[in-house]
Formats: sequence, structure tokens, C-alpha cells
Amino acid sequence: MTDTALPLVKAPAAPGRERWLAVALAAPALLILLALFALPLAKLLAASVAGPDGPTLAEYAKLLGTPYYLGVIWNSVRLALLTTGIALVIGYPAAFALARARGAVRSALLACLFLPLAASVIVKAFAWTILLRSDGLVNETLLALGLIDAPIRMIFTETALIVGSVNIFLPFMILPIYTVVAQLDPRLMEAAATLGAAPAEAFVRVVVPLTVPGVVAGVALVFSLAVSAYVVPTLLIGERYPTLSTTIAKAYLLARQPTFGAAAGVVLLVIAVATVALSTRLARLGGAR
Amino acid sequence: MSQEPIDAASHLVVRQASKRYGATTVLDRVDLAIRRGELVTLLGPSGCGKTTLLRLIAGLALPDAGTVAIAGRDVTRVPPHRRNVGVVFQNYALFPHLSVAGNVAFGLTVRRRPKADIARAVDKALALVHLDHLAARPISALSGGQQQRVALARALAVEPDVLLFDEALSALDRKLREEMQGEMRRILRDINATAIFVTHDQDEALTMSDRVAVMNGGRIEQLAEPRLIYQRPASLFTLNFVGLSTRISGTVVACDGGIVQVDTKVGRLAATGRFLAGSQVVVATRPEHLRPAAGATGNAVSGRVRAVVFQGSRSLVEVGAGGETLLAELPGQEAALLAPDAEIRLAWPVSETFAFPAPEMAA
Repeated sequence: MTDTALPLVKAPAAPGRERWLAVALAAPALLILLALFALPLAKLLAASVAGPDGPTLAEYAKLLGTPYYLGVIWNSVRLALLTTGIALVIGYPAAFALARARGAVRSALLACLFLPLAASVIVKAFAWTILLRSDGLVNETLLALGLIDAPIRMIFTETALIVGSVNIFLPFMILPIYTVVAQLDPRLMEAAATLGAAPAEAFVRVVVPLTVPGVVAGVALVFSLAVSAYVVPTLLIGERYPTLSTTIAKAYLLARQPTFGAAAGVVLLVIAVATVALSTRLARLGGAR
Repeated sequence: MSQEPIDAASHLVVRQASKRYGATTVLDRVDLAIRRGELVTLLGPSGCGKTTLLRLIAGLALPDAGTVAIAGRDVTRVPPHRRNVGVVFQNYALFPHLSVAGNVAFGLTVRRRPKADIARAVDKALALVHLDHLAARPISALSGGQQQRVALARALAVEPDVLLFDEALSALDRKLREEMQGEMRRILRDINATAIFVTHDQDEALTMSDRVAVMNGGRIEQLAEPRLIYQRPASLFTLNFVGLSTRISGTVVACDGGIVQVDTKVGRLAATGRFLAGSQVVVATRPEHLRPAAGATGNAVSGRVRAVVFQGSRSLVEVGAGGETLLAELPGQEAALLAPDAEIRLAWPVSETFAFPAPEMAA
């Protein structure tokens, strides 16, 4: 080694040092994630294949091979799909209203959006059971108005489940879409108009594609929250509508079948992760950046 | 109709257009007529109404009163998407989710033109702005100058009746802006476009346009060729806003045959103009008319050199005389001889001296 070679050796070392610094800075967060997330996940995976005679996929076979459990999986997916779809239809225009609003109206709308997030999901689900029961506010009002003669059965129906679920998860659809809409340059619409696009066409060709990232984020959030919801189906529909999450709870707490519970947990996780991955991929194929 | 008939050759006619926002009058009964193939600049300070006038023409804002006609058709109440105008916006407003070609094709796609026609028109428009090699690029991969060209190509591709530019060059740095000025003028000439530029940059206005409309307080102060705007400003505002000038206030003592004699703090000056004796006026001239002179015909003022500002081939000399300031533009070697505080006598011809009514004292 000559002296002149020294800087050449040193120079490439710098990025390495930077990388170590990055690792050091990320270390606390990484350690916490590793301890609280990756390790339990690994344990869950291991538990889901644990059998008396070594690893087995028997519990997965039971889940994916029994019509009853396929129905349970479908219940979870159906709840998530309906919640996500309805939340998107309601939330998309709401995000625009929020972005267009000014001053006090905007503050009020934002408060409407954020305040419910401060209340526990259990409180909100109970609130719906109170509203929807046969002597609840909704039935009393309808009776008083003479619109119905006898109370309608609402609580413990799929309608109650979907209404409550949409209500509770709606903010998670609106917020990401609102963030994207608020950043839209109004001149893009003007440019589209001067180029000959009528308002509806300009909306479809310019605004919709540019809001796709917000829609994808909202869909991924609401879907993964709804597919794994436990409190909402338990309180609003109960036994009539078993989902993966209620099945997992029962497997651990009542039936003492930890292997089956773990396998159901993994299936639930796979569905949620696959949905997020798929929607992101679809958005990218759609040309959104 | 009491109004004068519209010039048959006028391609764009704005008549008595007014626009108010709340208590503020942004446009005050503006008339503007532009011939086919003409490049006109709306020049003025911010808040003068130039952008609002452009938006009225594009259909992006509606006038409270008055009319807009393009190619003989009254479009006052026609929405922008049915006007066939092209707009190049200040920040370009390119569609970030589309490629360069996708942006240029947009106007033709929404017109439902056949695919082959669109491809041909896009190629042609991109070739015109020398961007044919970047057709497939995303917008985010372009420089500011390139984005500006895409915006121009996108507006050109639909073959609009009128092209409108809203401060379209102001986001570029000076050198690039000057290049684009020349290039845009060439392109617009080649396709014989009728175009309106909105700018606060007087150099841009003077170099690019056939005529300049100087705007102030919601009105057009003067609409004339760039040379006339500079050499024969119709108002004190135009004189001030376009180019440099020497301005000296005084009182008219005599008027004869379009020449007024004005008493000022630097002595008696003669100027072209018609005023009653006793009128308060401002006497003005451009810096290039002032020459160092011993005994001169015309106007002459003695003073002391206050500063010499070197500007390359020429220098700007600031001379103080009797509390007034004179600006003279002199060739570099002449100015180099001048020391600060030196005595100097400047003279200039009466034919290049103008008198304007003095502004109200309220200001």
C-alpha cells in the first residue's frame, strides 16, 4: 500500500459508515418491531402448524376444506368488501366537500371526522346497539312519525353490521382521499376545460386518476380494519354471523384449540396483506404514480 | 347601436368588459380588438386586471358586463370547453399522470378524433417545439423549459382560434426565458397564431408582441406597437412602467403650436403637449436622448454626476440638478470619463420631450 492509495480506500468506506449510521438510527424502532411484531408472528406461524407428531397442515386443511369455515372466511371478506365499497362511495364525495370547504365549515367537518376517532370502537358499537334495538331511537322515531306500525328488527341483522362498520371505519377512507384532493391543483381542471373537456369528462380523465393513490390508501386501510374487526360483528350481529376474528377468539378462549386459532389468524393476515398488496399493484398498473 | 362597427379583420373582440370582485373593480369597461395572426401583450403591474381579462377571454371567468367574440362568434356565455382557445398557464398545469405525448394528445382525445389523426397531430406539435424525442417521458422527468414546451405543444395541438399565455415564461430563469421568447415568437409566426400574452415583464412585452396593451387599474392605458409605447407613451403611467425616464414637474407658462414652455426647478423647459398656462405638468424624456453638451439648442440642464451605473456597452448616468434627478444613457467610453460629483451639462431635443398632466396630489 502506498500513501496515494489511501484516499481511494477511504472514499468508498464513507457510504458504508453512513449505512451503519442509518441502521443505528433505525435500531430502536427495529428492535421494538422485532420484539413486538416479528417474533410473535413467527410464533403464530409455528403454532399454526404444531401437531402432536411434529409439524402438520391439518388445521389449514380443516379451515380451507370445510364448507362451514369457508363460509366464515367468506363472512369476513364479505363484511370487508361491503364496508370498503360503501365507505368509498360515501367517502369519495365527502373528501371533496371537505377539501372545498373553507373557514368554520371546514373546521366543523374536520371535527366530525376526527372526534369519533377519539371514542373507543366498543363505545361506538354499543351506541349502535342502543340506536338500533327494538325500543331504540331509530324505531321510536319511525313509530312516532307513523312510518311503521311495529318496531323493525334491526339489531343483530347484517344491515346493522354493515351500517355500524361503515360508520366506524369511514374516517379511514375519507382522510387519505382528502389529503390527495386537497393537494390537487385547480388549474389542472381549468387546463382540461380549455382543451375541450366538459366538466364530467375532465373529472374522469384528470381528477379520478390523480386521486387513485388516496383511494388505494383508503381501501387498503378500511379493508384490513374491517376484515379483522372483532368488536363490530360481536356486538352488532353476534353468533349469526361468525367471522374469522370471532372464530379465532372462540378457538383460543372457549374451545382451547390454539393451533386452529393460530391457523385462522394466519389466514386472516394473508387476506389482509394480499388485499393491500393487490390494490397497490392495481393502482400502479392504472398509471397512478 | 351607438358603438363603432367592429373592424372586419378583428379576430378577437372584447367590448366594454367589466368585472368586479366584491367592492373591487378588476376590469373597467375594457375594449380590445385583435387581428388574426397578431401577437398582443397585456402588460401591467399585478392587480391591473390583465389576468382577469385573459380569463374572461378563455371563459374561465364570466364578465359582469360586456361581451367577448372570437372569430365572429359571441362567446361571452360559452363555457371554456366549447370556446376553442388554447391556454398556457403560469405553472403549465400539465397532467402529472400522463406522459408528454398523453398531455399533448389530451385535447384531441376529448374531441374524439381518430387515433391515427391524434398520433399525427401529437408528432407535429412536439416536432414544432423540438420535443419529439421525449414523447414517452413522464412529465416529472422534464426540466422547466421542457415542461413549458409541452404546455405550448398541448395548446397548439388542438389548433385553437386564440392562444393565451398567462405569465407563461416567468417561471424560467432569465437566459432560458430569453431563448424561449425568441423561439415562441418563431413558432407562433410559423403557424400564424393569434396570441395574447399576459406579463409584468416589459422586456418580454416589447420583444414578443406586435402590439402592447399597457394596463392599469382595470383599464387599458395604451394599445400600440412596442416602439410607440416606448417612444410616445400616452400617459405618465406608461412612461413610468415601460423603460426609464427623466421626470421633472413644473408649471406651464405658455403654449404655442403644440409646444409648451414649462417653468421647473431646473429652469425653463420646452415640451410637446397642449396645456393651458398655469397647468401643473410633468416634463419627461427617455435617457438615450440626453447628451453632454456645451451650448445646445433644445432643453439643457446643468448638474452634478451622482452615480454612474455600468451596463456593458453603455452606462447609465444619474445627475442631480436643483433637487431633480436626470437619467442619461451614455456610451461606455463617454461615461468612463465622468467622475462622481463632476459638473455636467445635459441637453436633449424638444421633439423628444413630453408633458403629462401632473398626478393628483393625493398620492
